[in-house]
Amino acid sequence: MSALLELRNATKEFRGIAAFKDIDFALRPGELHAILGENGAGKSTLTKVLAGVYQLTAGTMLFDGEPLTLKSPLEARHRGIAMVFQETNLVPSMTVAQNIYLGEEKMFNRLRGLYIQAQRFLLSLNFYVDPMALVSSLGAAKKQMVEIARAVHHKARLIIFDEPTASLTPEEKFHFFNLVRRLKEDGVTIIFISHALEEALALSDRITVLRDGALVVTDDTANFDRERIVQAMVGRSLSTELYGQAGKRRARPYGEKILSIQNLSMGSIVRNTSFSIYSGQITGLFGLVGAGRTETMKIVGGVVKRDFFHGGAVILDGRPVRYRTPRPAVKDGIVYVTEDRKIEGFFETMSIAGNIQIGDVATGSNPLTVVSYARARRLAAEWKERLGVKAIDSDAKMIELSGGNQQKVVIAKASIQKPKLIIFDEPTRGVDVGAIVEIHKFIEELADDGIAVVVISSYLPEILALSDRILVSRQGRVVEEMTIDTATEAKIMFAAVH
Amino acid sequence: MIDALRRGYNAFRGVAPPERIVPAMDGPLRPNTLLDEAPVVLDLAGVDNLVATADGVLLTSGRDLLALDGTGDAATARPLRSFEHPVSCLAADGAGGLAVGQDGRGVLIVGGAHDGLVVEQAGTMRLACPTAALFLDRNTLVVANGSTAGPAADWKRDLMAQRRTGSVWRIDLRRPGAATMLAGGLAFPAGLAAAGDDAVLVSEAWRHRVVRLAGQAAPVDVLADLPAYPGAIAPAADGGYWLALFAPRNQLIEFVLGERRYCERMMERIHPDHWIAPALSSGASFLEPIQGGARKKLNTLKPWSPSWSYGLVVRCDARCKPTASFHSRADGHVHGVTALCERDGRLLAAARGSGRVVSLDPQADPDLGGSA
Repeated sequence: MSALLELRNATKEFRGIAAFKDIDFALRPGELHAILGENGAGKSTLTKVLAGVYQLTAGTMLFDGEPLTLKSPLEARHRGIAMVFQETNLVPSMTVAQNIYLGEEKMFNRLRGLYIQAQRFLLSLNFYVDPMALVSSLGAAKKQMVEIARAVHHKARLIIFDEPTASLTPEEKFHFFNLVRRLKEDGVTIIFISHALEEALALSDRITVLRDGALVVTDDTANFDRERIVQAMVGRSLSTELYGQAGKRRARPYGEKILSIQNLSMGSIVRNTSFSIYSGQITGLFGLVGAGRTETMKIVGGVVKRDFFHGGAVILDGRPVRYRTPRPAVKDGIVYVTEDRKIEGFFETMSIAGNIQIGDVATGSNPLTVVSYARARRLAAEWKERLGVKAIDSDAKMIELSGGNQQKVVIAKASIQKPKLIIFDEPTRGVDVGAIVEIHKFIEELADDGIAVVVISSYLPEILALSDRILVSRQGRVVEEMTIDTATEAKIMFAAVH
Repeated sequence: MIDALRRGYNAFRGVAPPERIVPAMDGPLRPNTLLDEAPVVLDLAGVDNLVATADGVLLTSGRDLLALDGTGDAATARPLRSFEHPVSCLAADGAGGLAVGQDGRGVLIVGGAHDGLVVEQAGTMRLACPTAALFLDRNTLVVANGSTAGPAADWKRDLMAQRRTGSVWRIDLRRPGAATMLAGGLAFPAGLAAAGDDAVLVSEAWRHRVVRLAGQAAPVDVLADLPAYPGAIAPAADGGYWLALFAPRNQLIEFVLGERRYCERMMERIHPDHWIAPALSSGASFLEPIQGGARKKLNTLKPWSPSWSYGLVVRCDARCKPTASFHSRADGHVHGVTALCERDGRLLAAARGSGRVVSLDPQADPDLGGSA
């Protein structure tokens, strides 16, 4: 069978550093091809080359057997290649419908017709998104849906999904998988990048694994299992390191009660919740989407304010506190590591050193102190090595880094503030297995150093692998507490649902 | 300014200020049923004041001093002596001497070098409410005087009146008149334990905390913000402490405590057994507030329902930080634990409210659901 798209000896370099090198890759028509690899392995760069975002430094690309050089994503779209990016590329100030039909505007547009058309189209995909809603008002999952809908709308022959399910709920994922299968039945060729290996194993026809910019293996999915994929991705077996500790270790003992939340309320999202956080432990906070976990911890971290009169109490080290901004919280030793790193976690056009320096400055040093960029670079170099950030140097811009490396910088930026309570909100969302192990190890080290750690996660194996103590949140309040000694996935899920 | 506004608004709307909010029982205080599952070694109404001596375990019930024969399933209480007043506290000096708190009168020394000595006054203060006693050595006794306003048996009134008249005294039994006050203005000190370097730990019940007293220095919090009223403290064999919390706090009680006129009228007109107040035992009378639907479902008492009484024993480390706890919840039968004593690898807990002594495994791990 002749390939729909083919790369021969393909190399892409940035400032002389190869993102991938000498890759031979062929895509069969109508197949669902999963590309897997650690962060920094070159997956996103490879797919961006296919989508016309970047051009090859060396090698050739063939489309339908003809050599092809794509100069822009627009040209790629005209050729029938669409890409759904990891970070959504929607226009926030426009509505959902306007984003879907962006670039197809006529001289005079009848918005009502556009909305009706978009509504019908979204419902046909089983995406329940209001076409009249401004994109800026949507959550991450719904933005992803709009991005997918836009790609499907363009009737592409090849659709590239870069981590499409990272922010979707289980139900939304179910609809998404059905959509992907339907597209495949219609003859659309699909490239699918995901860190959820189970998804790749369940959905794809073939799997390609990249490591450090080189293609390690391409084979039929039937010939893979989870262990073989992980081994190909990281070059060693991680079966004992990745979520392997759940149920095999004892919980750390309770330290000092650092934080006491009493009858905390905020609107209808956080409702009269009470719990405590202890130092030297990892407290896992699990709940379904909408359970109020993030909002509760954002109140603690000063990102949002609780209700003024009936808001309850947040007691830090025996002292009631109510932060209006994160800065006083950081000064008091509370750091919140956001779940939405691109929007809230870093400045993408600044360098690694610049971002880490911001974390350092936020600790409340003397405003008259001269900010030293040399110190920032030194700190950045230290943290880059400690967390294994893969980048050319500390001056590399955040936008050039892969998702996992961006997350490591966000964690470094928070950890440099020497917190006594650090809150990780979905710390490994959109992060590859190798980086997950490194981030988990770092979180464990923080707890071993006596810091109170809170990990919010929607992924049960992560909660079970990391936590010493698990709090389950439902409808805005913590409803169950269990220790790692007694917790099981079934018990946690039961508490989260019933 | 904003705090003043908030206080005013809270007072107007009846919203509890932070100090009146009852902390959640979580972490090491996570509820379980280990106290209820523990073997009952003795059923005795009014059982209290467990003390380990060289001859065995002593305990009291009302005016009686008894010896506990055996700590197995079939232990019995052998009467030793009866006193003129109810016994409110008991301490042994390790050399045959006992300090016996006589509720409403003072402290009586029985046996040992100071046999027959009655300490009725410390400084200018009458020791009419001796709630806890501790021998630092054979000649030095530390006594907690819970209140100046009434006997220890009237503790509920002391709480609802929000008195802060408790004190802790160090008494040289060779010169009892020259007692030294270690701390005054305490809110019902109810437990004492030696903390090394001549310091003592004091559980201050109505302020829900345990403080450390060292010489004349101001009390230092070692454990605060407790969800129940702390009472007896006993040393643990592994170097930590055992803390008994004799009654639970709840938001209704905290609310009533803030409503002074209501509280005073309640104390004037209603029998103490039926007050909206904590108790050592509850559920015996239909006249008690909070009955029916709030507490029962399908005629079964909900373990998590609001209750006036509760059973709670906390294991603390050497810094007095909780590491584990043993509970008897609203539907349990080991409520109102007022005395603890570790002996022969078992922890004995006397639940005065339920009138029984239970035997616990000090190393039981509640997180593993380990049986006591």
